[in-house]
Amino acid sequence: MSLEELFKEIIIEHYQHPKNHGHLDHPDAKSEGSNPLCGDELQMEIAFEGDRIKDVMFSGNGCSISQSAASLMTEAIKGKAVGDARRIMEEYKHMLQGSTYNADMLGDLEALSDVKKFPARVKCASLSMAVLDQALQQKK
Amino acid sequence: MDIEKIRKDFPVLSRMVRDRPLVYLDNAATTQKPAAVIEAITGLYRNYNANVHRGVYLLAEECTQAYEDSREAVRRFINAGSTEEIVFTRNATEALNLIAYTWAEANLRAGDEIVVTIMEHHSNYVPWFRLARRKGAVIRIVPARKDGELDMDAYRSLLSSRTKLVGIAHMSNVFGTINPVKEMIALAHRQGAAVVVDGAQSAPHIRIDMQDLDCDFFALSGHKMLGPTGIGVLYAKSSYFKSMEPFLSGGEMILRVTLDDIVYNDLPWKFEAGTPNYEGAIGLKAAIEYLEALGMDTIEAYERELTTYALEKMRTVPDIFVYGPSDPSKKCGIVAFNIRGVHSHDIGTILDSEGIAIRAGHHCAQPLMIDCGVSAMARASFYFYNTRQEIDMLVKALNKAKGMFGHVA
Ligand SMILES: Cc1ncc(COP(=O)(O)O)c(C=O)c1O
Repeated sequence: MSLEELFKEIIIEHYQHPKNHGHLDHPDAKSEGSNPLCGDELQMEIAFEGDRIKDVMFSGNGCSISQSAASLMTEAIKGKAVGDARRIMEEYKHMLQGSTYNADMLGDLEALSDVKKFPARVKCASLSMAVLDQALQQKK
Repeated sequence: MDIEKIRKDFPVLSRMVRDRPLVYLDNAATTQKPAAVIEAITGLYRNYNANVHRGVYLLAEECTQAYEDSREAVRRFINAGSTEEIVFTRNATEALNLIAYTWAEANLRAGDEIVVTIMEHHSNYVPWFRLARRKGAVIRIVPARKDGELDMDAYRSLLSSRTKLVGIAHMSNVFGTINPVKEMIALAHRQGAAVVVDGAQSAPHIRIDMQDLDCDFFALSGHKMLGPTGIGVLYAKSSYFKSMEPFLSGGEMILRVTLDDIVYNDLPWKFEAGTPNYEGAIGLKAAIEYLEALGMDTIEAYERELTTYALEKMRTVPDIFVYGPSDPSKKCGIVAFNIRGVHSHDIGTILDSEGIAIRAGHHCAQPLMIDCGVSAMARASFYFYNTRQEIDMLVKALNKAKGMFGHVA
């Protein structure tokens, strides 16, 4: 394992300049979660339009992995139908578990594929997915 | 102190981690064990294992003797008046809970006040928080000053005749601050309050003297002072232990059980229900003997020198912020810090790739994290087997971490 596998340029870029960071004016769903071990905190807010995720924003603070994962994940699902977002999250989960996954569906999220080589950090990369999942469950 | 010779006593210190020699700087979490401790434990199982206080045969006599000798070693180590005042628990956390569920449960009422410091580890906060909820008691917090020391003026003004219990970390597991417990105990006693000192961090590093401190309760964990896991100690003045109902009950803590009456065992066994962790106690005795052979004053002086060096060198890392007292005479062995632009968790991973073990996170002290306006910190914590060279490696790796994340505004 090398540090460069974990801290890829794109991960540091999203950590330092996160996309979709902040709050929505009128979110339809809101959720939050934390990683009690290290204090990473994350909130997600979603606005729906029909079956589509019209907008999504995250806030909180934490390490480069948890924050860049949130940035990349929100980028990946913004504008997608809820069902498609769920499929992306499912592939992402497979990737972190070290199973086979569909790279095409993941796009830039694949930058996080080497996190699985750092078992202590898998929780950081999973946090945004867990918080997002809670928010999606709020969709009527 | 001959550090190179000392390091040879600790088998794990010679192992390689990620192709580099291990640099273990997470001693506030748990310390490594010298061969003497490991051998004391294997020696028990090889030679004289038997349940204590039970059998009439030689093995049981030897094992009981070894267990009770361990109690005497603890008594001597903290200069308690009598072994009646030494109860073995699983760890400091269990010792603190024992007080909460026995003495405090019986003696606190609605409206009573519990004074604890902002620096407490969760284990000296959560039991009191829950107790306060059960009783309708009120928790009052002693704040820390900007320099990482307790605000003693605030402490004085918080104390009143309503104060029933004061809980103080002898040494903060985050700032490393050694709190002025002796003075705090005297002030609390003037109001008639009982004082619980959490010695989990102090006992490994500085001389502990129950006669000098005059606290009512003192808790420590064996694993933080070279001992094995699963063994801790609760000291209480025997006047307290005598007045207290048992905590757990069952075998060992009774003298006589009939169908309509129970007579509790004498002190300290009244508070040790069930087969105790005699393996842990025997390991702890070997740990105490190791510490005593080096001398607690020698250990403290060496660690202070190391801490002074660490503070000086770590401050050269760009954008580092070090928490707690900057005056090394006010602290011992612990340096908590953050580097702007590099989360502590990332620092931890980068250091790990260099074989360096430190802690990152909230350190089971979330109220203090909130007080400092952060959700996490990195922490390097030393013991007498650490060296200046290891601190140099730490600083080099911190510079590398800073470099990887570049300079951000
Ligand atoms: C100040 C302090 N108190 C209490 C504890 C709890 O110790 P244990 O987990 O061994 O019960 C710790 C351990 O980190 C500590 O640092």
